[in-house]
Amino acid sequence: MAGAVRGGFLLAFAVATGLGAAEAAPAPGEYSVGFITETTGPLAAAGVSFYRGAQLAVEEINQASYVGAGVTLKLAAKESGSDAARAVQALTQLGADRSVLAATCCILSPVAAALKPVTLNAKLPLVIHGATLPGLPNPPYVTSIVGLPGPQEVKMAQALAEAWKPKSVVYFVNADNEGFQNRFKAARKVMEAAGAKTADVISILSSDTDFTAGATQAIAVNPDLVMVWTTQTPAAGIIAALRAREYAGHISASDAISPAPVYKKIGAALAGTPFPILFSPEISKTPEAQAFVAGFAKKFGEAPDTYCAEGYTAIYFIAQGLKALDGAPTREALADALGKATSIEHNVYGGVPMNNGQAEVSNSIIAQWTRDGKVVRWEKP
Amino acid sequence: MLLFAAQLVNGLSLGSLYALFGIGFGLVFATLGVLNAAHGAYASAAALAAYFLIDRFGTPFAVAGLAGVAVGGVLAVVVDQIGFQPLRNRRSGMLAALITSIAFWIILDSLFGVATDQQSLAFPASSYPQAMLALGPLKVPTMQLVNFALLIAVATGVHLLIEATRLGAAMRAVGCNDVAAALGGVNARMIVLVKAFLAGATSGLAGVLAGIATSNVSASLGEGLLLKGFAAVVVGGFDDVRGTALAGLLLGVVEVFVAQYLSTSFRDGFTYLILLVFLVVRPRGLFGRDSVVRA
Repeated sequence: MAGAVRGGFLLAFAVATGLGAAEAAPAPGEYSVGFITETTGPLAAAGVSFYRGAQLAVEEINQASYVGAGVTLKLAAKESGSDAARAVQALTQLGADRSVLAATCCILSPVAAALKPVTLNAKLPLVIHGATLPGLPNPPYVTSIVGLPGPQEVKMAQALAEAWKPKSVVYFVNADNEGFQNRFKAARKVMEAAGAKTADVISILSSDTDFTAGATQAIAVNPDLVMVWTTQTPAAGIIAALRAREYAGHISASDAISPAPVYKKIGAALAGTPFPILFSPEISKTPEAQAFVAGFAKKFGEAPDTYCAEGYTAIYFIAQGLKALDGAPTREALADALGKATSIEHNVYGGVPMNNGQAEVSNSIIAQWTRDGKVVRWEKP
Repeated sequence: MLLFAAQLVNGLSLGSLYALFGIGFGLVFATLGVLNAAHGAYASAAALAAYFLIDRFGTPFAVAGLAGVAVGGVLAVVVDQIGFQPLRNRRSGMLAALITSIAFWIILDSLFGVATDQQSLAFPASSYPQAMLALGPLKVPTMQLVNFALLIAVATGVHLLIEATRLGAAMRAVGCNDVAAALGGVNARMIVLVKAFLAGATSGLAGVLAGIATSNVSASLGEGLLLKGFAAVVVGGFDDVRGTALAGLLLGVVEVFVAQYLSTSFRDGFTYLILLVFLVVRPRGLFGRDSVVRA
């Protein structure tokens, strides 16, 4: 009887202190994580950032024995160039390699959507690190560490509507990117509800480079605010073209303009353009974020951008799933652990809840570039 | 009306870039018989060379631009001598040259991607004229007028060179039949080098100007010009610089007006519809001669 009581007490103590979870110990060894890189092609600038973030995460995880004693991770990189067919080929190869326990991929939603049936068929856990189309996650095998578009855009649009009280707004939007279409729709809904008339919607394509005509079209309707919901190269080009044509009204954009190379490219024309962002090396002050910034600067000699943070988070999320497994890890067990996760433990955002395989991020900040090239919080005038 | 005029200027400026690029593209095709898919790489190389000279060494824009143009020309000569001359010696035909040019296109694009760390760069705004010039009620960026003026100068110069000089006669002779030209005393090898340099340099000029117009200097800069330049050559006529210049302007204006008054979605469709119509209805283009071999 005394033994039973003591056993029950010990069990209760173990549960209360979390030892039950800590006892999970994956078998020592080196485990491969597939990374479908996009370091060439139209999104290569962002693709390089995602991959660098992942490389740093693997280095940190291995040095700190984050997954467990004797457990190390190795990245198995395959290039897709943001092309769906090449991405499918890469994932098929990763799926055939039984040493690969999980994979992470995709900036573009159509590419992620193309991979979904492949990964479900191969039963290879896939963590999406960039694409934001609603409905992409399909737990337990497909999960996403990227917050869906909507909350950040709504938050910024509300702030801008309140601060600037625009009467008319022109929107630039990617016709070929559903993620940006959704961001644009969310922002327009807020603006129209606040009484701001939609003066024009100018569609552009991701591959476009000349925005002189679009800028002329926008300026012709004399809007109080121009909202730019496009990928990075068009966003930079549109803002540069608007300012070069002496547009003096307000401009807002997405986090696509947050990386330092965009400021180096466009310069002071970006100053004062607010954008919503989840991570910024200058603004994010949690211990995890600061350690990430320091580690990245040490490894790559520069500050990380928001895409680096997403690549970094994806690898830590996979490591978190592995950490929860006992013995020799399998793809099925890892998928189960990732699908059941209710949060991402190690992150630079100050907390990331997971809901049914989808990250939910609500603590975005509104930032802006200063004229001397620093990212600071955007404040209401 | 003011918007119409502003967009017309935008279209002419954009079309000037297509035309400049097309002039080089057409020169190579009409006189060397090479449909050169690597031609866009010359534009990228020129823009990147000019960018690095400005960014790293603070070179004045005019000097950096000229150096970039020279880089475009030299690269074209190197590609021609390594890739096309051996095929020419073996009389391998257009298909072999096309495949070779695609290989060069991919290799050069990859190298430029590494050189730029896959980033899209831009000329510093302070390095080139940025003032808006007033033409009546219309305000026009200085560089748009520069684009147009350079097109007029280059098109006129190249046209006169080909049609009214001994060098031009030799170029045309080599284009018709290099063996016969050589028998007639023309140094065909030297003429090939001159043509390749001229073609690369004009494309390089288009690349440098496009880098300014689009705030985008990257490995893929030339890709955007390649298909439009090809369309300008087909619509204008392969063997006439005037036609290429006019067609380039036409395509630029159509592209801008379709985006303004119809939809961006139809923009490229209209460009290639024009291309298709010309291929079917008038395959020799606006100014082309009947005797020229067609693509």
